[in-house]
Amino acid sequence: MRDQYSEFISHGAEIVAIGPDGTDSFQRYWENEKIPYIGLPDPEKKVSRLYKQEINIFKLGRMPLNCVIDVNGRIRYVHFGSNMTDIPDNETFLHVIDEINVSSN
Amino acid sequence: MSPDLITPGELAPDFELEDINGNSIRLSSFRGSKPVVLAFLRGFM
Repeated sequence: MRDQYSEFISHGAEIVAIGPDGTDSFQRYWENEKIPYIGLPDPEKKVSRLYKQEINIFKLGRMPLNCVIDVNGRIRYVHFGSNMTDIPDNETFLHVIDEINVSSN
Repeated sequence: MSPDLITPGELAPDFELEDINGNSIRLSSFRGSKPVVLAFLRGFM
C-alpha cells in the first residue's frame, strides 16, 4: 500500500493503519519505511478488539484484517486474513473504492 | 469464527486514536468526504 499510496489518494480515499505497537515503535517504523499514510498506535488494542481482529496463537499472533468504509461510514468490504501474509492486493481495494465513488456520485 | 464478526453493510464502529504525531483521528470525521481503507497490522516484531 505504501508504494501505491498516491493511487489511493487519486481515487479519493485515505488509508489508516492500526497496530498493537506503542507510539515510539510506530514512529520508528513509519520513518524507517517512509510510510506516507496515517498510523494509529493502539497499544491497548481497543480498536482491534472493536473490529474483532483475530488472534491465532497457533499462527503466532494477530491475523491481518482489512476493511473498506464508504463515505456514509458503512463497511463495504472486509477481509479477515487467514495467515500472516493474507492481505488483499491493492487492485481489490481500489476496485471497491471505485464502486463507492460511482454509487456516491 | 465467532458469529458476530463485522460484516459489509453495517455501520463501521467509530473510534478515536492519536496518530504517531499526536493528532487525534476519529473515523467518523471521514464520513461524507472520503472512503477509508482500514488496515489492522500484526505488529512490527
